[in-house]
Amino acid sequence: QEVDMQAQADGIRTVFSDPSNFNVKHPLYSPWTLWFDSPATKGRNLPQTPMTSFPQTPIPQTPGAAAAGGWMDDIKRVITFDSVEEFWGLYNHIVPPSQLPQKANYYLFKEGIIPAWEDDANKNGGKWSIQLPKEKNRNNVDKMWLYTMLAAIGETFDPYLTSGEATEPHPQSLITGVIVSTRPQFYRLSIWTRLAPSGGGEEDKLRERIETVGRHFKTSVLGYAEGQKLAGPLATEVEFLSHKDSEKKGKAAKKIVV
Amino acid sequence: GPLDLTSSKKDIPAGPQSALATARHIEDLSQIEYPQGIKSPSVELNANAKDKKFRYDREFLLQFMIICKEKPDHLPPLDVLGIEPVDQSSFAM
Repeated sequence: QEVDMQAQADGIRTVFSDPSNFNVKHPLYSPWTLWFDSPATKGRNLPQTPMTSFPQTPIPQTPGAAAAGGWMDDIKRVITFDSVEEFWGLYNHIVPPSQLPQKANYYLFKEGIIPAWEDDANKNGGKWSIQLPKEKNRNNVDKMWLYTMLAAIGETFDPYLTSGEATEPHPQSLITGVIVSTRPQFYRLSIWTRLAPSGGGEEDKLRERIETVGRHFKTSVLGYAEGQKLAGPLATEVEFLSHKDSEKKGKAAKKIVV
Repeated sequence: GPLDLTSSKKDIPAGPQSALATARHIEDLSQIEYPQGIKSPSVELNANAKDKKFRYDREFLLQFMIICKEKPDHLPPLDVLGIEPVDQSSFAM
């Protein structure tokens, strides 16, 4: 086949043409870091493991990290990766959400952004989230989380990146990270965004961009119909809340629902 | 005098590095030809892609699932991090 001959000549071997001896991999739009916590990791000092050949990247000492300090102590950094091939290598060796203990969380965030409100990348943002009753969704949650991660690392959540409106060479994506949480009676999936509309009239564009993320999450990622009602016992709609409104407990929070 | 063993230690070859660790990043997605039956990444998503900032649709990404089985060598032992599956038999009820 002519094409393969050409590829051969160029010396380009993807994992599809040579699974054990490929020499190129598919870079991601951004590198990502997976974090984990559960009651079992609280207060646990990790034993020193012999990882001399791959020293772990220290947690960035940003003001945000310092502000979130105590809480971040219990969250364990699992791995940072920057290619499609490494993502799947990780995926094929890690425990899926349906098999995690209760009160566990995976946080998949862009490298350099810690999974906390206090991080500069998150402090003006918010999150889309959905809560799903555990019993009904034990068989769905792994696929939902996989599709959520794929939309995140593939950068297909944020329409702005391909809208043609972006003038900068590397338009910044709205997405900072995604989270799955296991609780005794439900699962929660969240998409964190860098910005959140504060309600001002000039923010129609941002609001539309945020809503497009939510609709993509609800229909393409989670597989629900647009307009489908999801709220019920232990279940919520796909809803957006800014982190600032989340902090004001009790006060009327301005939720966006898709 | 005592035997000098230092020289014998020098030539221990580092184990062959895995393809996963050594493969280089694709520079130009449009140059890549995929084998028959493999779908290429969405052209639309990468219309203005620059500097290896690529976006990938789910259909393309899912094709790697059954091929990329190699564990990244910088993945720490999961049990040390507390990532352990719960006993599946506890779901039996």
